[in-house]
Amino acid sequence: MKRWRLPLVFAAVGAALLFVLFQGFGRDPHEVPFMLKGAPAPDFTLKPLDGGDPVKLADLKGRPVVINFWASWCGPCKYEHPVLEWGARELGAQAVFMGVVFEDTEPNALDFLRRMGASFPQMMDTRSRMAVDYGVAGVPETYFIDAQGIIRGKHVGPIDPKTLTARVKELTQPVAGPTAEAARQP
Amino acid sequence: MNAVLVSLTLALSLATGQFAPQQAASDPLAPAQEARVQQLAKKLRCAVCQGLSVADSPSSMARAQLDKVRELVSDGKTDTEIVDYFVARYGEWVLLEPRAEGFNWFVWLGPVALVLGGLFVIMKQRQPLPEGAASAEAAPVPSPSTPAPSTDDADPYLQAVRRELER
Repeated sequence: MKRWRLPLVFAAVGAALLFVLFQGFGRDPHEVPFMLKGAPAPDFTLKPLDGGDPVKLADLKGRPVVINFWASWCGPCKYEHPVLEWGARELGAQAVFMGVVFEDTEPNALDFLRRMGASFPQMMDTRSRMAVDYGVAGVPETYFIDAQGIIRGKHVGPIDPKTLTARVKELTQPVAGPTAEAARQP
Repeated sequence: MNAVLVSLTLALSLATGQFAPQQAASDPLAPAQEARVQQLAKKLRCAVCQGLSVADSPSSMARAQLDKVRELVSDGKTDTEIVDYFVARYGEWVLLEPRAEGFNWFVWLGPVALVLGGLFVIMKQRQPLPEGAASAEAAPVPSPSTPAPSTDDADPYLQAVRRELER
């Protein structure tokens, strides 16, 4: 038994190292983890792109919110935009749709909206303050916040109508897990 | 040819505005605080890059993250609180060095343990083994009643090996 001890220790260390490597190689290195699911949405104050009073998260409480981060320089945002336009028209009664311009200039964003259509409010995120607060890791990203102000999740990359409909429907239903229930307690 | 194509594509993308416009970062703080900001930013991973720290990345997202670090430092937050702010959003992925706790200790100490173990094995191998012990290591389970040298002598294969070695 004694002479097996050393090989066994080596096998255990080797297996643990393999496990670490497997974990490292098993995940997509481009995927950034998102930890705010089930957490209360951080507050924000944003300036609307078309001028007007600043918008706060508190102003939207009581209604589910869909927030889309986008930029005029982002290719996938171009073909995602019509889906959001459609969503704002078809699902606008169930949730507030809001766009947040990420790392872009106002003229660029306005030009994009002039060409692609602007059927829901668009905000400027100066110095990406809100983006950092919300853990954005690129554009496009779509956040789903329920009526209680809890982040139910986010969609990374351009969204399709089917996913958008399903996620908005989820927002109007009560949470299944206990996490959001716990987070809702003051 | 490829270089020409790449430069043409880059020039075209610049001309058509396919890039994130640079935005100015916030002003540096007082030297002592700014040193802390830079030290923290070196440990944090830029959210839109691959393996670049917030301090090293020129991307505007990294600037925004640096601004946030600056804001939290000037608010008087401790280093742990600032790191926790980013971990709460991006998970431990945001730390360029894994935290030395729990299973992560393995990542820190595993390689050292393997090197030490390897050294130990080498040292052990270098010690001259007694005659009987060497055959006991090689043979599956030698019964103590059978004297090892007699079986070795009888085995024609081992005799051949021995002749080969002594040549």
